[in-house]
Amino acid sequence: MTAGGFQMLLDGAWTTIWISLIAIVSGVPLGFVLSLIRVSRFPVLSQIVVLYVSLGRATPLITLALFLFVTLPVFGVNIDKYTAGVLALTLNTASFNTEVWRSAYLAFPQSQIEAARAMGMTRALYFRRIMLPQMWYAALPSLVNEMTLLIKASPAIAVIGVVDLTRVTNRIAAQTYEPLPPILIAGVMYILFIGVLVRLQRHLEKRAERYAT
Amino acid sequence: MPAPEEVPVLQVDDISKSFDGVEVVRNVSLQIHSGETISILGPSGSGKSTLLRCINWLEKPDRGDVYLAGKRVGRKEDGQLMSDRELASVRTQMGMVFQSFNLWPHFTVLQNVIEAPVHVLGMSKDDAVVRAEQLLEKVGLEAKRDAYPYSLSGGQKQRVAIARALAMEPTVMLFDEPTSSLDPELVGEVLSVMRDLAAEGMTMLVVTHEMSFARDVCQEVMFMNDGQVVERSTPEKFFSNPQTDRAQRFLTRYE
Amino acid sequence: MTDWEIVLQEWPRLASGFGNTLLLFGISAVGAFLLGALMVGPLRSRSKIVRIALRSYVDGMRMLPFLIFVYLLYYGLPTFGVKLDAWTAGLLGLTIYHCAYVAEILRGAWDQLPVGQTESAQAHGYHGLRLVRRIVLPQLVLNTAPVLGNQLIYILKDTSFLMIITVQDLTYAASSIQSMYFVPLEPFLIAIALYWAISLLIEGFVAIVQGIAKERGLART
Repeated sequence: MTAGGFQMLLDGAWTTIWISLIAIVSGVPLGFVLSLIRVSRFPVLSQIVVLYVSLGRATPLITLALFLFVTLPVFGVNIDKYTAGVLALTLNTASFNTEVWRSAYLAFPQSQIEAARAMGMTRALYFRRIMLPQMWYAALPSLVNEMTLLIKASPAIAVIGVVDLTRVTNRIAAQTYEPLPPILIAGVMYILFIGVLVRLQRHLEKRAERYAT
Repeated sequence: MPAPEEVPVLQVDDISKSFDGVEVVRNVSLQIHSGETISILGPSGSGKSTLLRCINWLEKPDRGDVYLAGKRVGRKEDGQLMSDRELASVRTQMGMVFQSFNLWPHFTVLQNVIEAPVHVLGMSKDDAVVRAEQLLEKVGLEAKRDAYPYSLSGGQKQRVAIARALAMEPTVMLFDEPTSSLDPELVGEVLSVMRDLAAEGMTMLVVTHEMSFARDVCQEVMFMNDGQVVERSTPEKFFSNPQTDRAQRFLTRYE
Repeated sequence: MTDWEIVLQEWPRLASGFGNTLLLFGISAVGAFLLGALMVGPLRSRSKIVRIALRSYVDGMRMLPFLIFVYLLYYGLPTFGVKLDAWTAGLLGLTIYHCAYVAEILRGAWDQLPVGQTESAQAHGYHGLRLVRRIVLPQLVLNTAPVLGNQLIYILKDTSFLMIITVQDLTYAASSIQSMYFVPLEPFLIAIALYWAISLLIEGFVAIVQGIAKERGLART
């Protein structure tokens, strides 16, 4: 592995990181909003959300990335590979996040809601003051788990030409004729990123356990 | 004794409620006047809790009406169902204390007590805190104001729950088996608070298994069985001379 | 020719791709389950060496992206003289990668099993593989049916990664048709619909298994 190779690995890692980060930061709130629509049972919108979640969780990221990159231009949306990559990752993770938020909502202790209603709180009020602060805490471990899944699936964007941490190993091998070292190093880097998140997730799970009523 | 023309604080007419085809409350009526304490006794499954929850419409009664100080609860003048907001507004005048306390774990004791006055009644935070501190002192928990519910004993949690309900200055307090979840040693501290409340003239409807409370504190005892009110009289008459068979059997079990 | 007519004309290509996807999915799913089930016992072994070795392997697979592992097999192994064709590398990759996940799911459930279960079986003379297979495993599978179902769906989706190493799966087929005839929408719609259909079938299967679990009082609510 040459110094140039290392530089390319770092570039690839950076691409993976920033694309994943944008997808995570967009996907969590998007999933939240969609879960609200779903639990409020809005007439047409909530059915659309159900459909979206079902499709989103069943569609492979590779297929989705290709689909968006190739199809959106037909409808006049000129999309570059990075945007397509971010969009695919975001839509994918949001569909899982919707279910995470929804589970947290459904698992919320009814007893606290009854006390709130008995004191004259309306649904909007107790959702905001009583449910939400506790819900996001309960949802956190699953949300972090979903983040690790996103990073593990992120190499899919290589299929539309984005040179991420995985794809870059091909480039390096093309120059050095030694495919193994960059793959091993990339593997270690992934394990480090994801390892940190996994540790975070375990910590959050322990905390959520402690504060569960 | 209440003046004969006085409007009852609570008027409950012919309430019925079924779950899954089973009638849990059958044509129950009651009346409670200002300053009175009425206890509702009966075996488990007799519909006592459901009745209470129908009164503040946490459960929607299938038939019957509830009137709070003469005004209908749950339905408007024209018979239409009240909206979420209207119902919430009425509930601010009915305090409820639950068997499992139902405190909000992410708030401190003080925050639990000021939450509804501030966000529902629109009180200023400062005023709410003053009122909360008074109430916490009244129930003997002013030292715990910054503690979180998880660190409190059952009896302490229930006393906070009572303070929280009182903070709304309700016209009537509904107690749903307030001591049934407590270890025996902790029952006394909660009953003591409730006795003080009754002595101060709070109008209280109490579902309970605590016979001493029913005997000493209440003006009227209602005995329910299988969803119906089987016997209704003063504590003296009820405990010394129960009229019905079922009441007699119930009392022998508890005495 | 309309776009749909083109796609219809090319249906053998799609069918072939879909067939490959199903084949890869089916074989690796069975393989992953068998290996994962074989691994659960040793994962909880009293031998420290065995336990740590397997633990590292399972944790490693769960912190690694699938594609990197496949790259390791396909591009990395030739360095040691082992040249795998894309299909084999893909199949091995799917199986070895996902059996770690299956093992972990089953292990988690085993840890939650009341100790009395295994002890009473041991008292009756069951031990080792026979213990696992006849007493423990059925309960574990029934308990974790939804999570295992999810894992099956992940295996299905991961087959699409193999198109990057030129395995001609469903997504590869859709992509080829798209690039050859410039029909961007239809092939992908069909591909997505097919993935969706299989997922729904898997979820339906899980629901049936859960029905069995409930009947026997084994479902965890």
